[in-house]
Amino acid sequence: MTDFNALLRILTENNVEFIIVGGAAATALGSARLTFDLDIVYKRSRENIERIVSALQPITPYLRGAPPGLPFSWDVQTVERGLNFTLITTLGPLDILGEITGGGSYDQLRPESITVEIAGTECLCLNLEQLIQVKRAAGRPKDLEVIAELQRIRDESH
Amino acid sequence: MFSMKETIEQAADLDPVVEAYKKDIDVTLIRENLRLTVDQRFQQLMKLQQFAEDLRRAGRKARKK
Repeated sequence: MTDFNALLRILTENNVEFIIVGGAAATALGSARLTFDLDIVYKRSRENIERIVSALQPITPYLRGAPPGLPFSWDVQTVERGLNFTLITTLGPLDILGEITGGGSYDQLRPESITVEIAGTECLCLNLEQLIQVKRAAGRPKDLEVIAELQRIRDESH
Repeated sequence: MFSMKETIEQAADLDPVVEAYKKDIDVTLIRENLRLTVDQRFQQLMKLQQFAEDLRRAGRKARKK
């Protein structure tokens, strides 16, 4: 099971600048679909990368699906050289994304985000319109059903 | 009267596949979720994950018999 509360608490307590996207954002906005990982877009500044590396160190991030024993080192250089990482941690799967298709970077998504409160912490979450746009831009067949649900949520919210 | 932005958004929404899926979306579940706080929605998601994991475990056990 993914401990969303603990993952979000670790990130916020370490002042990581991030936005919840993907299935977890859909949950925050009212989706009834089951999701297993937490997807976040993080700010690609040196300071924020240092914060995210330090924040996740205790929960031993490793590349999800990769065989054990790879020379993967969770440090600032690794994150700076890469962009998007699909990780497994002791608290569950976590995707940290420098950019997303149809949405761009943290700075581009920040104005399209809302503040939500989860487990006593305030986090940024992509708003409904932007999430629909991102899902549409991703162009994956599996997202079409998600878009349908998000549009229904929008209809019900009006 | 719709603004240009609304008109463009509505046109973009009209994907026939999405429209077909929309007919099968259980709106009652959405209404229930919208009554909850964001925090409650996450608690519910984690319970659902646990339930899915319990079902998987039970399935594995049954297949071994």
